[in-house]
Amino acid sequence: MAADLTAELEQLHTAAFGWALSCCGWDRPAAEDVLQASYLKLLDGRARFDGRSSFRTFVLGVIARTAREVRRRSALRRWLPLASLVFGPEAEDGRPDPATALARADETARLVRALGRLSARQREVLHLVFYEDLTIAEAAAIAGVSLGTARTHYERGKAALRKLLEEEPE
Amino acid sequence: MIERHDHHMRQRFEALRREDAAGGPSFQATVAAARARQTAAPGRRALQLAAVVVAVMAVVIVSTRRGRNGVGLDIDLATVRWHAPTDFLLNIPGDELLRSVPQLGLRGLDRRTL
Repeated sequence: MAADLTAELEQLHTAAFGWALSCCGWDRPAAEDVLQASYLKLLDGRARFDGRSSFRTFVLGVIARTAREVRRRSALRRWLPLASLVFGPEAEDGRPDPATALARADETARLVRALGRLSARQREVLHLVFYEDLTIAEAAAIAGVSLGTARTHYERGKAALRKLLEEEPE
Repeated sequence: MIERHDHHMRQRFEALRREDAAGGPSFQATVAAARARQTAAPGRRALQLAAVVVAVMAVVIVSTRRGRNGVGLDIDLATVRWHAPTDFLLNIPGDELLRSVPQLGLRGLDRRTL
């Protein structure tokens, strides 16, 4: 059973890492942190798959929730300096780390910069549809919004991204 | 036109996905790092538990001190008499005459009225 779960997770690993990167604003150390915490939840049974959605949707949902938890802790740390003793060291500042930014090709670097200027919801929905090849309904389930809201984010996000990519210098 | 744009956008995202996949950590390395983190976590767990205990104790101490200082009102219900706001409606004119016994002949009658 555990071996099955591990094998299924391994198949989804590339998609999961890409999604973790998107959730953390392409900050690689933060994305790795979120992915590790998510895998622990899944492997320890703290997050259990109940078959209501596809396994892929479920795993991406767990990563999204974990990233939100990390963001909340990060915000708490900013207000309470002693909270880092309780929650551990901070790993995320919401920006792409310099090493990752340097390693990217120009085209993808432009895309990442443009995505970074969209709202979080628009970025999430576009990433899930175009990067993860999910339907808008699946993206809505992962982002925790209604189908209508996801459609609106998708259309507006797409228009905004197209405009930003046209404005960005080559 | 829109479909062409969508196709172009999809291609960009595919390039991003390929780059992420090439530079990402392996599954085994991620799981191993997660497990290592889990073994290092008990110290942090103990701190979290200690923080919760301290918070609960602080709430208990503050609430008991408030009770002792009399900030909260002690009301002895046995001594309290409740009055309805509509009690005054029961006070009819000449109410005191109904509650007393007339004493005829003691004070002297006004003979002029006989």
